[in-house]
Amino acid sequence: MSEFANSLSVTASGLKAQATRLRHVSENISNADTPGYRRKSVPFEAARDLENDVERVKTGRVSLDRSDLENIYDPSHPLSDESGHYEGSNVDLMIEIADAREAQRSYDANLKMFEQARGMSSSLMNLLRK
Amino acid sequence: MFTELNVFKIAYSMATHAGKRQALVSQNIANADTPGYHAKDIKPFKEVYAAGPRPGDMVASRGSHLNGNKGSQMDWAVTTSDTGADPNDNSVSIETEILNGVEVKRQHDRALAIYKSSMNILRTSIGRS
Repeated sequence: MSEFANSLSVTASGLKAQATRLRHVSENISNADTPGYRRKSVPFEAARDLENDVERVKTGRVSLDRSDLENIYDPSHPLSDESGHYEGSNVDLMIEIADAREAQRSYDANLKMFEQARGMSSSLMNLLRK
Repeated sequence: MFTELNVFKIAYSMATHAGKRQALVSQNIANADTPGYHAKDIKPFKEVYAAGPRPGDMVASRGSHLNGNKGSQMDWAVTTSDTGADPNDNSVSIETEILNGVEVKRQHDRALAIYKSSMNILRTSIGRS
């Protein structure tokens, strides 16, 4: 029974980590046009639980992308300097969409495993019926 | 006749094997995007059962023991693969894991079906149906 509990808890940690990742992706996408916004990314780390001998996944500290901000030419923009340029964000929409797709794929896989573990434990409980 | 019910023991180990494997498959899928994580698995039930109990092995008597067997004396040693690693040193393939998951589910269902039908035979033998 504790194996199922481990299975469910580790899957739940995976679901939570992927959801956090997806949240940061949507933050990036919604701020794609915010001047001076730097892309956020969240690292995944394995968190070992020695008592139950499982490796859960957890998200680490959010880090900001240090690559250069996009230089946009728009003299009418209130933030533009003498040369008519202002700094946009360094979010690449293509990367964000791809990241969101991968997060969703992993989320689905985790959800499937959660349902399977639940189904297995409930069919085990069905043995006691009758 | 009823002191040693081997069919129950086999079905029990088979279901235990499926449960342990399910935990590892879940762990692999949860860590599918963790850098540096290598996929884990245990030996197929056929091999584990053929090898039989291993009395010479260390036994883990509490949860914090790193190695050794818990409960039954079977060889539930966890193997770690490192083939086909991604650029971030992760070797989990979601497709393989889903496939393993289906295999595990089938094995577990089979074990429970064997257990249940044997139980029904016992029930019939004491006159209940």
